[in-house]
Amino acid sequence: MAFEEIYNTYWQKIFRLCMGFTNDHDLAQDMAQETFIIVWKQLPKFRNESNIGTWIYRIATNNCLRQIEKQKRFPSAEMPKNITEEKQTNIEPKIQLLYKFISELKETDRIIISLELENINQAEIASIVGISEANTRVKIHRIKEKLTQKFKENGRK
Amino acid sequence: MDASNIDLNELWAGQNSDKPVLKDLHNKMDGFKKNYRRKIIRTNLLLVLTSVFIVFIWVYFQPELITTKIGIVLVILAMAMFILSTTKSLELFNKIDETDDTQHYLKKLLAIKEKQLYIQTTILNLYFVLLSLGIGLYMYEYTLLMSTVWAVFAYGLTGLWILLNWFFIRPKQMKKQQQKINDIIDKFKNIQSQLNQE
Repeated sequence: MAFEEIYNTYWQKIFRLCMGFTNDHDLAQDMAQETFIIVWKQLPKFRNESNIGTWIYRIATNNCLRQIEKQKRFPSAEMPKNITEEKQTNIEPKIQLLYKFISELKETDRIIISLELENINQAEIASIVGISEANTRVKIHRIKEKLTQKFKENGRK
Repeated sequence: MDASNIDLNELWAGQNSDKPVLKDLHNKMDGFKKNYRRKIIRTNLLLVLTSVFIVFIWVYFQPELITTKIGIVLVILAMAMFILSTTKSLELFNKIDETDDTQHYLKKLLAIKEKQLYIQTTILNLYFVLLSLGIGLYMYEYTLLMSTVWAVFAYGLTGLWILLNWFFIRPKQMKKQQQKINDIIDKFKNIQSQLNQE
């Protein structure tokens, strides 16, 4: 697969993953770009025996976690609200809420639910994150419950 | 808002971002490469310049005693070691496999961080010891030319400076470095424990 093809196919997916992790549009865009730079560098080493999607998501996930090292910025939950929201006025409030809720989860939960919502099957998620399929299933179930709960609480306010 | 019939997948897919043109990405990549090269040149330049300066002293002043020469070598060694270890420590990250699964990636990242911690502490100690020894030896030849009072004064002052470095500046710097790495190690360990929770 040529780099350009990968870039076109995966840009939005990777951006959403980064956005779920940070809920900061600019930062997510930077992180997505970083991911593709790594993909570009590593592509010659890619062997066809593994799935290209899994391979790219692994890079993206690891890059997200590496952000923690660089994080001199505010944690997403403490970001001044108007800054994050201003950039996304054209986006439905429910969508904004979903990303906000996800970015408030534990780091690995953010990754797992983002992959799940991207319709990646659970066996693949397990192989991206490096945990068992059973554990993945349990985690996804719990995270979804948590998110629904958050939406409910928000609706009551 | 009715939460029971929210389609998370649909909401999720509603988020989009303009894809930067590929050319921008390529420019960024070139920028990264240039930056990296510049950084390496800068550190090595510093090393070469200091060494040239010290060698110049050696040639120009023609020290006669072996202690002076050993002193000079120790000081160069201290600086070379310090700079090389900093570069080495950065290079550790280039070896990490970014395409590993998260569990393994975290494990390797933690191992690197702990190694960095070790390198920094050991090298900083060694650096101070070599530098102090080097300066002490280097001075010997020149203090021989002074009167006893001045010689004692010169060594006293240098000794004081070295003690100040060892007991105040070194621990302070070490603490700062360690805290930075330890913070990161803690965060990664926390993520690791998240993964292992059932």
